[in-house]
Amino acid sequence: MPKGKVVVDRERCKGCGLCVAVCPFGVLDLSKDYNSSGYAVVTAVHPEACTGCALCAQTCPDVAIEVYREKAAAGTPTRGAGRP
Amino acid sequence: MAERQLMTGNEAMAEAAIRAGLRAYFGYPITPQNEVLEYMAAHLPQAGGAFLQAESEVAAINMCYGAAAAGVRAMTSSSSPGVSLKMEGISYLAGADLPCVILNAARGGPGLGNIAPAQGDYFQATKGGGHGDYRLIVLAPSTGQEAAELAGLAFDLSDRYRVPALILADGMLGQMMEPVTLPPPRDPGTLPPKPWALTGAKGREPNLIASFALEPTVLREINVKRYARYREIEAREVRWEEVATEDAEVLLIAYGTMGRIAKTVVRRGRERGVKVGLLRPITLWPFPYAPIRTLAERVKAILTVELSAGQMWEDVRLAVEGRTATPFYGELGGVVPTPSDILQEVLRYA
Repeated sequence: MPKGKVVVDRERCKGCGLCVAVCPFGVLDLSKDYNSSGYAVVTAVHPEACTGCALCAQTCPDVAIEVYREKAAAGTPTRGAGRP
Repeated sequence: MAERQLMTGNEAMAEAAIRAGLRAYFGYPITPQNEVLEYMAAHLPQAGGAFLQAESEVAAINMCYGAAAAGVRAMTSSSSPGVSLKMEGISYLAGADLPCVILNAARGGPGLGNIAPAQGDYFQATKGGGHGDYRLIVLAPSTGQEAAELAGLAFDLSDRYRVPALILADGMLGQMMEPVTLPPPRDPGTLPPKPWALTGAKGREPNLIASFALEPTVLREINVKRYARYREIEAREVRWEEVATEDAEVLLIAYGTMGRIAKTVVRRGRERGVKVGLLRPITLWPFPYAPIRTLAERVKAILTVELSAGQMWEDVRLAVEGRTATPFYGELGGVVPTPSDILQEVLRYA
């Protein structure tokens, strides 16, 4: 499985939980960590399960999530390879 | 062509207010209405208006008093605890017959409460949170689109009747992003003139704006005249929406965020053959007593649903006057019930 990493902009997050609901792998959950507006921000409780699909980032109405994908090692064939 | 934008309810109300000719906004930060301040700070000066972050909520509402007295469309916004602080100024605005728009993106209470959506400020909004015999025009949007429309209407009604208008929203409506079709901007110069405003008494008698009249018979006369305007508002400005009420056996009554959830309850109930309808008050004052009374004659029960322990419920019971059963279902402290929770309640009376 590909590996991914979720980064939450804690000051943009309003704790609505849409990303928690949409993640197919249960990576995210609301924390008890409050930002300066008072919202319980989302956090990766199972970061090891993240595949980097970025559904959470696409769902987030406040553009508070960035998803990074692990680069494949040199020489590893990638899916759907086209132009470099 | 109409402009359609994806924005939060707070941003929609802020932009609609600017387009309605708002030119003086004074506020103070509090979650969940901060986006109003942020939006005003960025956009109101571009429209030629004045944005100022006041030193407190009390200062902000009194700045509104000054701007409104000068004839400018003025607005402030806050969330529940901050609106409590504004109450003295709101009573003075009402006593001075000044138009002003106040937005409450309400949160859980009492006290500092929390920042989750709640409707515990209904009494404060509709029954007079400040002192004295006065009313506010109270508008309760349930979608981002309606929030934008009611923000414009609030200014028009407030100016027309010289009565402050309060938009009673909540944290959910303020924070939720939705597509909104915005109204075209209006030039403040084209709005109806305000001959009573303090604009400099060159070539005319001075105007006086005050909420003070030491002589009881004089103050009585001022209040009687104001109440005549309140009666006119009650006769002309009641607004509500009905959904599937024609053959309803159980009638839901809900406003704002709960009104929106109740619409889903009606749809799901109807899919299951339950004859459920909804009456959603849009103006909380003036309250739609008459249409509720009419429906009370032919439904088995009127179930009031609120994010409170039962505040609008009192007005519903005043409207029904024992004509039918008036059960209540509410959630407290910022907890929002799901459509299934409410449908379970509906089934008890169907």
